[in-house]
Amino acid sequence: MSSKEPILQLHNIEVKYHEVILVLKGVSIQVPEGEIVALLGANGAGKSTTLKAISGLLKHEDGRVTDGAIEFMGEQIHRKDAEEIAKRGIFQIIEGRRVFEHLTLEENLRVGGHLRGNGRQLRDRLEMVYSYFPRLKEKRNLTAGFASGGEQQMCVIGRALMASPRLMLLDEPSMGLAPLLIKEIFEIIQKLNKEERIPILLVEQNVKLALTVAPYAYVMENGRIVMDGPSDVLRENPDIRDFYLGLTDLGTRKSFRSVKHYKRRKRWLT
Amino acid sequence: MEVFLNLVISGIMVGSIYALVALGWVLIYKCSGVLNLAMGELTLIGAYVCLSLYTWFVRPIGQPTLAFLLALAGTLVIGACLGLLTERFFLRRMIGEPVLSVIMVTVGLSFFFKGVVEFIWGTDTRVFTPEVFSKKPIPLMGNIYLDSVYLWSFVASIILLIVFVSFFKYTRWGLAMQATADDEMAALSLGVSAKFVYALAWAIAFMAAGVGGTLLGNVNGINISVGYLGLLVLPAVVLGGLNSVPGAIVGGIIIGVLQNLADGYLSQFTPGGVKEVAPLAFMVILLLFKPYGLWGWERIERV
Repeated sequence: MSSKEPILQLHNIEVKYHEVILVLKGVSIQVPEGEIVALLGANGAGKSTTLKAISGLLKHEDGRVTDGAIEFMGEQIHRKDAEEIAKRGIFQIIEGRRVFEHLTLEENLRVGGHLRGNGRQLRDRLEMVYSYFPRLKEKRNLTAGFASGGEQQMCVIGRALMASPRLMLLDEPSMGLAPLLIKEIFEIIQKLNKEERIPILLVEQNVKLALTVAPYAYVMENGRIVMDGPSDVLRENPDIRDFYLGLTDLGTRKSFRSVKHYKRRKRWLT
Repeated sequence: MEVFLNLVISGIMVGSIYALVALGWVLIYKCSGVLNLAMGELTLIGAYVCLSLYTWFVRPIGQPTLAFLLALAGTLVIGACLGLLTERFFLRRMIGEPVLSVIMVTVGLSFFFKGVVEFIWGTDTRVFTPEVFSKKPIPLMGNIYLDSVYLWSFVASIILLIVFVSFFKYTRWGLAMQATADDEMAALSLGVSAKFVYALAWAIAFMAAGVGGTLLGNVNGINISVGYLGLLVLPAVVLGGLNSVPGAIVGGIIIGVLQNLADGYLSQFTPGGVKEVAPLAFMVILLLFKPYGLWGWERIERV
């Protein structure tokens, strides 16, 4: 872990849905000030749940942090409402490009500035977002529901940016986008992190990409963190190479004959 | 022809009152997906509150118009407070429950409100005394006349409609309400307080319904049957598309005109009640062809 002071800390949190379904079984994560941290894992590993536990949206889905603690800038936030957590500067970008379909792109952005009040501040903020996403400015009056996938993704990132976040929780920004667009969006994310010094907790299925933008990463499986370390180290780890990057040591594609081997290793990993 | 024009014009005037109430209804539906079946009782409460304020004010002030305007302003304030209280005590705890349960709560509220109104104000028909608007018809052109009650009701509803719609379109909280209507979870993630949005929707609904009830009470006098306005609002909003604000306004006006025409042309052939049935019949026929209403949200699908 880097020497910087962590802005967000999860201490062994346990999350239950509907008071019975145990989804997270003791997750500990640290996000240092001004850095990107990646959270990797397969479908259903609990990545999105972790983000929702931090942003407080969990309560909206009848989920609850039943054990452990979440600390943001030295303050415990896991019992607070989503609204209060947002006021403290944590903004989650929910997966699946949830734009407000019937509003225009600009109106979407303005809702993002909801907590920042009206008037000048909002306009400056809007210009700042447009400087990162010039394409949004071009199409500012387009109804968001009819925008392309890339534009929608830019819109939801820009929307969170409007709120001048102190921590961004970014859930699968690459989902369902063309490779070129993914590249563009990730470049913007990196730029945001560098220039605005916004720490980002990034959930991603595209492991290769995530490991290039984030200097540090956690790997989740079945509601637990099974591995963490600097991205360079993880990239060389044989299990990560096997299960997430789809490479053997020789750098060639795996043959189907080694499927059994896959299962054995996977069980060990969990 | 003159008869027709007369009917249409006064229909538009009454329709604007429906439009106002329909607007309140649509706001609640848009933001929280709840069909508010207590809307009629909200109009009832508004009408009686305004009547009481008016009889209070009119003696010391002496001038009926001024007293009425003050009473109307008071109705708006009290309406907003009642809306916030209703949301706080009855609907806040229903957040997250199935929509059907919330709708049942509004049914309960409608009975409760009706009971409260009967308890406080009784069941006799009351009228605004002294009259606020003169009964003398205003000549428009040729043989077309208009009661001044209708004209002023029209003006008042249009002003309020403009105020509400611009609030919804151009202010921060209006935008937040639209966002919540679109995607509650995403709105929450941006720090929009869903609770406050609901409270706001109920406050506006109470205000719109209250003024609507008052205006209608000026036309016909106030008794329990003012509450049937709530029933008429349903075809108006279904016509416009359940979650369309402009749709609610146009729908309200169409229903007003339709009612008047049915009353003028059809009631002579029937034992009565065409006026009440016509809007609903029209609604059913329209739904056959446009299941989303005129401007309802169809789901945006990208291909």
